[in-house]
Amino acid sequence: MKKEYVTWLMSGEELPEGREIGISIRDLTPGQHKYSGRNVKAIVSRSPKKLPDGDVLWIRSGTGILRSQPWAIKITADLGEFLSRQPFDYASLLGKKE
Amino acid sequence: MAFMDNRQFITALEKAGEIVRIKQEVDWELEAAAIARRAAETQGPACLFEKIKDYPPGYRIFSGGVATYRRLAIAMGLSPDTPVKDIYAEWERRDAHPIKPVVVKDAPCKENIMRGNDIDIFKLPAPLIHDGDGGRYIGTWDIVVCQDPDRDWTNWGTYRFMLHTRKSLVGAPLPLSHLAMILTQKYVPTNTPMPTALVIGADQISTLVGGAGYRIGENEAEFAGALCQEPIELVKCETSNLLVPAHAEIVIEGDILPSQSQIEGPFGEYTGYRTRPGGDGLILQVKAVTYRNSPIVTMVPLGVPVDEATVSGAITMAMTYKRRLKKAGLPITDVSLPLEGACHVVVVGVKRGGIEIAEQIRTFLTSRRVPITKIIVVDEDVDVFNFGEVLHALGVKCHSVRGVVPKEHPGGGNPLTPCYTVEERAKHLGATALWDCTWPKDLPAEETPVKGSFNTIYPDAIKQKVKDNWHRYGFK
Repeated sequence: MKKEYVTWLMSGEELPEGREIGISIRDLTPGQHKYSGRNVKAIVSRSPKKLPDGDVLWIRSGTGILRSQPWAIKITADLGEFLSRQPFDYASLLGKKE
Repeated sequence: MAFMDNRQFITALEKAGEIVRIKQEVDWELEAAAIARRAAETQGPACLFEKIKDYPPGYRIFSGGVATYRRLAIAMGLSPDTPVKDIYAEWERRDAHPIKPVVVKDAPCKENIMRGNDIDIFKLPAPLIHDGDGGRYIGTWDIVVCQDPDRDWTNWGTYRFMLHTRKSLVGAPLPLSHLAMILTQKYVPTNTPMPTALVIGADQISTLVGGAGYRIGENEAEFAGALCQEPIELVKCETSNLLVPAHAEIVIEGDILPSQSQIEGPFGEYTGYRTRPGGDGLILQVKAVTYRNSPIVTMVPLGVPVDEATVSGAITMAMTYKRRLKKAGLPITDVSLPLEGACHVVVVGVKRGGIEIAEQIRTFLTSRRVPITKIIVVDEDVDVFNFGEVLHALGVKCHSVRGVVPKEHPGGGNPLTPCYTVEERAKHLGATALWDCTWPKDLPAEETPVKGSFNTIYPDAIKQKVKDNWHRYGFK
């Protein structure tokens, strides 16, 4: 049975199809661990026929609005648990007074 | 004393008829929050969900604790019928006398401990609060505890945190928050993880205080004690020297990682909108979880006012602003944030008015962060807690050209505020509109319009005669 995942896209952003990309997703498998997060390498397609052995990827906008048609996703590898980038622009914060 | 923990508070709410215990099973995915949201929007009771789908018996979710001023009064140990103005006055009176916390060795929050490979924060019933949120938010009515390693300052803050993996959460303290300041100044230079504790289900007063705007270096635990009128009990964490409220339901201990992040959000916020897309959030890597038997997750179904976020924001921001303005020597009478303004509208009463005083007020209210967008300044004869009176002053005393003064605040804006563009939110470009509803300071007394109210437009003798004969006239 196909697994289902969800991801969120910024306004104007689109997912490149047909080639491996890095993407953050949440697992929609029912149960206690629903919505657990993963960072993965995957190939995605708006046409499930192009990824017949893929799973289902729901896409929401940056403000959480669900697109009516899901995409397909084929996960090729897990990436790290977290993203290797700083959460803040520390340099600009260090310049601010208390 | 108010209440040592939420369980005592829930018992008090039950005696007052202010809570519904929902015994039928509810789904943590949207259903529990939808019920709580509807209860908030209908000014209904608090909710205790006693059976959660996918979770063992006894695991519960609690929402709406101080979502009304009546329940805030109960939390403070006051009568639920206490007038709002008196609640604020009592808060201000108690707040002036901090009480240091006491450290205990044994604590209810230690009844159960997850460590090492046993850690799985999904074993707690974290709700999905809104359809389309970026994840399940276990931290909405919480205290996030961290410490400045170089001085005696343990900071409490209220920041949203969602579950990421079994052993990690991701949260959204804003860059100008005290937590971010401590992280940036004390841990980032050496790329050292910052010990942090996410406390869920502390007593209501402690959680309120956690979200209040106390100053850098001030320990919120002392002000929680002040408002409870006795010391808060704290206990040491298992994996760090942080001290946390001993009677909390759940304590998630871990480290905030300075050089890694994860997408956090989007999330429907206290502004009443889900405005901002997800962004890079702070990671809390979990090292231990301690919790009470039959733990209760506290949840705010944030959205349009009024809910506990609005009530807590209103009173704590009003107190912060009043302290700041009085310290500046400004001739203010009182400060309020009308609940329906979602903490974006502030009303300040002044003993003598004029645009200069109003501008000074704005200067002090916007000196650091600028979470507000509208500042309404009124004369002392207007009750700032009576929005009908405030609206009257706004309607007839604020000149629509001279009395409305907009101003931008680069770097201080609130990225959650819906009226800002994407670019403005990214740059924290805030803006306020000052509405001066006061008489000019040099207006001669004989030219000042006379207010047409019973108290102001009749001689004392007539007023007294009318009051003395009120029932005799036939009024009830």
